[in-house]
Amino acid sequence: MLSPALARWLPGALAVVCVGSVLAATPPAPFVWDKPAWAPTPVVPSNNPMDAAKVELGRALFYDKRLSRDGTMACATCHRQELAFTDGQRVHIGVTGEAGIRSSMTLTNVAYLSSYTWANPLITSLEKQMQIPLFSEHPLEMGMVGREKQLVEMLSQDPDYPQQFALAFPEDDGRITKGNMTKAIASFERTLLSFDSPFDRYKHGDTRALSAAAKRGEALFFGERLECYHCHGGVNFTDNNKQQGQAFPEVGFHNTGLYNEDGQGAYKPWDHGLRDVTAKPEDEGAFRTPTLRNVAVTAPYMHDGSLPTLGAVILRHYAVQGHSAVAGKGPNPMRSEFIQGFKISHSEVNDLIAFLNSLTDRSFLTNPAFSDPRKRTPR
Amino acid sequence: MRSLFRALPLLLMSMPLSGAPIGQNAAGTSPPTSAEEIVHISFAGSFGDKPFACGQYYEGVGSNGATVTPSDLRFFVSNVALLAADGTPTPVVLEQDGVWQYRSLALIDLEDGTGGCRNGNAAMHAEISGTVARGNYTGLRFTLGVPFELDHIDDSTAPSPLNMTAMLWSWQNGYKFLRAEVSTRARQARSMAKATGAVGFPVHVGSTGCASTGPNSGPDHECKYPNRTVVTLPAFDAMKDTVVFDMSKLLGRTDLSRNTQQTAPGCMSFPSDPDCIGVMQALGLVYGDLPAKPQVVFYAREK
Repeated sequence: MLSPALARWLPGALAVVCVGSVLAATPPAPFVWDKPAWAPTPVVPSNNPMDAAKVELGRALFYDKRLSRDGTMACATCHRQELAFTDGQRVHIGVTGEAGIRSSMTLTNVAYLSSYTWANPLITSLEKQMQIPLFSEHPLEMGMVGREKQLVEMLSQDPDYPQQFALAFPEDDGRITKGNMTKAIASFERTLLSFDSPFDRYKHGDTRALSAAAKRGEALFFGERLECYHCHGGVNFTDNNKQQGQAFPEVGFHNTGLYNEDGQGAYKPWDHGLRDVTAKPEDEGAFRTPTLRNVAVTAPYMHDGSLPTLGAVILRHYAVQGHSAVAGKGPNPMRSEFIQGFKISHSEVNDLIAFLNSLTDRSFLTNPAFSDPRKRTPR
Repeated sequence: MRSLFRALPLLLMSMPLSGAPIGQNAAGTSPPTSAEEIVHISFAGSFGDKPFACGQYYEGVGSNGATVTPSDLRFFVSNVALLAADGTPTPVVLEQDGVWQYRSLALIDLEDGTGGCRNGNAAMHAEISGTVARGNYTGLRFTLGVPFELDHIDDSTAPSPLNMTAMLWSWQNGYKFLRAEVSTRARQARSMAKATGAVGFPVHVGSTGCASTGPNSGPDHECKYPNRTVVTLPAFDAMKDTVVFDMSKLLGRTDLSRNTQQTAPGCMSFPSDPDCIGVMQALGLVYGDLPAKPQVVFYAREK
């Protein structure tokens, strides 16, 4: 069951395992992250250490539609692997058919985030975040509110889960609880690491991994005319980052000038972004910077999926001081000081898109370790 | 070693004249020596005579008298030395605290994550700590910038504070040495922002004109414009004085209400941006054809 990516880094991984088994007489096998050595190590909550059995249980739960009110929705419904764990929809649709107000976010390298959802600094763990799709009512997503008991009963009566919980949570006597279910899914999500894009291979020595156009696009991306990397910087192309060895987590919420409903900076009345959480007027329209890893497969874009393509994001949003400027509302006066607009030629747009395409990690989109375990193909 | 380090404050209290060792340095651990003393060098931000504080508004900033509120103030200081009366420098060996100070480099963080600084964090670092050979010192010298040998390392494996994305520039250009940002968009400044398109004035100073040798490495020789300022404060007593970073002086020669069309917002230290001239000259840096003038942003003030 080795992923191609793991096989590539296996020598290092084996060394860790061997050292571990020599030093510890009764070893809980140390968890080995499937990542290259240069990639930072995620921070894991102390009450939910990584463990292979837990990850495998979480994977099964992630793909299980019985985690929704009517058995039609799993986590994977809105987070499809081939779309870098997004759903291709403008906004997500819940079990009752009710549309939400925001676009499903990618789970690419979600283990490194300092806060979750589009704009909530209070949600700092995946364990906490997942209560929203599972149990929230406004908007209704998986619709399990008030059905915790049925959920636990379903899991307990399944032919496989009791044994899997026993393996995953020996310290808790394998108890089947909402808390343990949540921990397992979070552990699976933390394994969704993507560091094998052409850009990664280029940056780490393979000069031929990028096309000439992508290299020109790289220079544009990291240049001071376009200013992309001020927010989309660092190993995950976002200013929201948490990793081992870092003194404290970093956060970045920005108003990019998508809307300007009243000429004073207002966003849509149903979604004020960070302001809805902090109640501070100056947080109007601020949203968390998403990663750009695998961005080419996560259309449509922005928090509400309102821009269909990367070309639209560049030409009809960032190049014009924010989309509100071309929507007849004028540039948002509260937007980030880095959104100043820029002139860009069509060939430069193509170069920039070629660079963004080079952030797509095909092995991540096809890694069998991330796929539905019930659809396992014989090999 | 770490436990010794934690015990240090206690040790110090029992030692009247602070002849104590300080923990590790880059080469390992310094043994205690009576020839050294501990030194703390404090930094403070200001807008003229008003203390720098996130969430505060300051009037009359820049050549056009703008009202601004801070969004950030962080900078790297390196190669800190105390100066004897004749100007002879003695290096300060920085405490290796695992967070703010690494080798000869320290991140000064004067923002607290409140107000317009919301993308910063609550933690601050306004005081450098280290050891220096005992002596009579009357002045201070330091570099505003990351030394070349640390400036182009891979940030994904870099130690703290070089792994904070807020100070990343690009991997070819290295780190931001200085991140000083103000917003002009709040309060009454809103209408002005609408009229001119400028909503703030971010200043990012770092090396430019860097030639990378390949995707796997940064430049192997110094960039064309290193943009490191050596700051000398000839009259500075670490016990009595604070190093002030004056935002009003940094921005004083610049019209903050406008941004030259088709240039980076504020000043990103890139060549041929007219919005940079005042800022780079205030910092004592060569800019384009313009020779360096004495820096005016840092000065010593009694605590």
